[in-house]
Amino acid sequence: MPLFGSFKAPANGDHRLGPMQRIETPMRRFPAGETVDYLVVGVGSAGGVLLQRLARAGFKVLGLEAGPFWDTERDWVSDETGSHELYWNDLRIIGGKDPLALGANNSGKGVGGGSVHWAAFTPRFHPSDFRVYTEDGVGADWPISYWDLKPYYELLEREIPVAGPAWFPWGDPHGHPYGPHPLGGVGDVLVRGCTKLGIRTVAGGPVAILSASHGDRPHCIYRGFCLQGCKVGAKASTLITHVPDALAHGAEIRAHSMAFRIVLRPDGRVDGVLYYDREGKEHFQRARAIIVAGYAIETPRLLLNSACPGHTRGLANSSGTLGRFIMAQAGNVVAGRFSDLIRMYKAPPAHALSEHFYETDPRRGFARGFAIQTVAPLPVSFAKHMMVAAHAWGWGMRRVMMDYNHWATLGVLGEILPWEDNRVQIAGEKDQYGIPVAKVTFNLHDNDKKLIEFGKQKVMDVLWAAGAETVVQEPRFAHLVGAARMGSSPDSSVVDKFGRTHDIDNLFICDGSILPTQGSANPGLTIQALAARTADYLIEQGDAIFSSGRRELQEPRIRYDLSPPFTHFKGNPRIA
Amino acid sequence: MKPSESSSAQPVNRLATRAQPGYYPDFSTLDQQDSWDEATRKVIASRVASPPPIRFFAPDEAALLQAVIDRLLPQDDRFPENRVPILPVIDERLYKNALNGYRYEDMPPDRDAYHLGLRAIDQMAQERFHLPFLELSTLPQELILKSLHDGAPDPPVAVWKHMPVHRFWTLIFEDCVTAYYSHPWAWDEIGFGGPAYPRGYMRLENGLPEPWETEEVRYIWTAPPDTLSDLDLAAQTRSPNSSLLEGIR
Repeated sequence: MPLFGSFKAPANGDHRLGPMQRIETPMRRFPAGETVDYLVVGVGSAGGVLLQRLARAGFKVLGLEAGPFWDTERDWVSDETGSHELYWNDLRIIGGKDPLALGANNSGKGVGGGSVHWAAFTPRFHPSDFRVYTEDGVGADWPISYWDLKPYYELLEREIPVAGPAWFPWGDPHGHPYGPHPLGGVGDVLVRGCTKLGIRTVAGGPVAILSASHGDRPHCIYRGFCLQGCKVGAKASTLITHVPDALAHGAEIRAHSMAFRIVLRPDGRVDGVLYYDREGKEHFQRARAIIVAGYAIETPRLLLNSACPGHTRGLANSSGTLGRFIMAQAGNVVAGRFSDLIRMYKAPPAHALSEHFYETDPRRGFARGFAIQTVAPLPVSFAKHMMVAAHAWGWGMRRVMMDYNHWATLGVLGEILPWEDNRVQIAGEKDQYGIPVAKVTFNLHDNDKKLIEFGKQKVMDVLWAAGAETVVQEPRFAHLVGAARMGSSPDSSVVDKFGRTHDIDNLFICDGSILPTQGSANPGLTIQALAARTADYLIEQGDAIFSSGRRELQEPRIRYDLSPPFTHFKGNPRIA
Repeated sequence: MKPSESSSAQPVNRLATRAQPGYYPDFSTLDQQDSWDEATRKVIASRVASPPPIRFFAPDEAALLQAVIDRLLPQDDRFPENRVPILPVIDERLYKNALNGYRYEDMPPDRDAYHLGLRAIDQMAQERFHLPFLELSTLPQELILKSLHDGAPDPPVAVWKHMPVHRFWTLIFEDCVTAYYSHPWAWDEIGFGGPAYPRGYMRLENGLPEPWETEEVRYIWTAPPDTLSDLDLAAQTRSPNSSLLEGIR
């Protein structure tokens, strides 16, 4: 018998987020012609958090989202190909010596954005990540320190919330609010192999997946379809963690709305956004301030496509750095075949890791480091993986896939440094709306190649040590950040430390694109923590944002009172 | 757990034809559909019951692509009525021009790439064996496709000077494996549990089956002896002692 009652189609107007949450329909819609306070372009990891905070603080906020507003019971399926629409599938051109595969790999579309299909690994960045240039002479320093962001890491870990060990030994050691998940077959391989090599591991997290129920969200059922959208509602996405609270506090989210141009007022401040609705009809939405939260490709694309007199290279691009320094992490997938059965489709793909190699070790001959994480692809992804890693085709593909249940896969998650020639530009072609598409150029540099080679070998060693009889690997990339980086100097960065563009006082960027470097940690938690901090800043500045050019650079007061429900009475444990 | 070796482990006759190949006899994910959610059940049911019609490819092109698919992901070990439809899935993607979110700058759009690639394959057959690809027997067909797999088209007809062969290979073969391993019959073959909401899984460690899954029953599986597409993984991988990184932590 089904666990949560019978699965009938929801009644008309009954919009479901997971089996327990409902949101009221029809949702709020601001009247045409109304000027909102904040217009957030893109309702993903950052956009969801921003809308929720700003709505609670009483601002009139509107989120424009290019994709649909998911009803998870109706729209999501436990199926790989059936989940294709969760990704940003529109045309983008990729090039360079090491082109970045996009789409399912790293780009979300629809309310919740990439947080709908992330694996939900939520390690924090290390304190050293904020001082890469100072410590290693490569990359860039952040205009903030780890300690500025730490309270927001803690807060978001309680809000979404994060399950994991009570003692996470790397970076700034910390614990997690919810207990770790039970170990699956692949996690067991990671722990076993690392232990043999003297590499420390943690298991069962940190992941933003519930190990115990949380308000109106059930805990994990270990079905393994995290990357296909969590129908259970156990895996955090802003769709279920922050968007419902934003709506409850008066925010509007306008789905199927594709922004294509930001328009300026005569005084040089932003006026509003032009967008296409689902039918391709053009609209203009006016706002007192705009926050672009479209992630590392769509954000620079929108700003570059908004070039106008006075901003001929694109908005917020007086430095010429907009679109530059885009980063992906090395994401080599390493697979080992074991004589014993693994059945890697059970349990979340993300559930055990080691950050033993995270920091720079001069003996290795390159700067920065990498993490080792569980990956656990489902059959279609694994077949694609075997096509590259084992050169399988024909009967060989059939043969290797018949052994699917004998394989365990681990991933390198390695830091690739920010390089000026890795960039987002506008291509000659247009998408289905007629909007010029992005071209993404990516080249690995010497440090990156050395790091990848070392990391790949080390993870292969882990699999051998765990007892694999065959080990193969595929070079890949994971995540996307950079391309509109934050910094203190308007000459070398796009936004200041709160995400305000150096060039235009009421234009902000808040998403993964503002990261100056990326560490070897999955970026989702950091993006959400930065969004909560930017929201606190905007709230503290109040109406000044809408009229003044004064840039307050003091850290804002943290608004613990603006968290979504069920956050209070949760703690961040610390053992030892 | 150790997989159970079938007590009668002996080479099965060459390419026994079965309703369900693989090591999980009688395992059926579709038998579990009463415990799937409705949205998933609908998507999977329609995938099994109604493969889309051919609308993008012209009949002769469709026949050629089918012959290519039959070598790229052969199903001769399945009874005809148990073969997973691949061509209709590719055709539908191209008919709807459904993209995967990116295109390499040195590649034409997916639709053009298919037309060009298929034409090139047929040209290769004509030049090398003086017959259309469709009329070739298995071995020459595999010889042509293996040269694409190896990134060294033989013969190197003009198309491959303009379209990188390894990217075309990735495009067409990813589409093939996506169609095949999305089908519940393929899940049964490989012992993948399939959709699992709202029931979930409870035996996470040690490769143990759920009560509704089946144990693996291994036998010596052989591909057709003369095929060029079989895989010997053991020969591909290096020994574990060759790491240059010993001692560096």
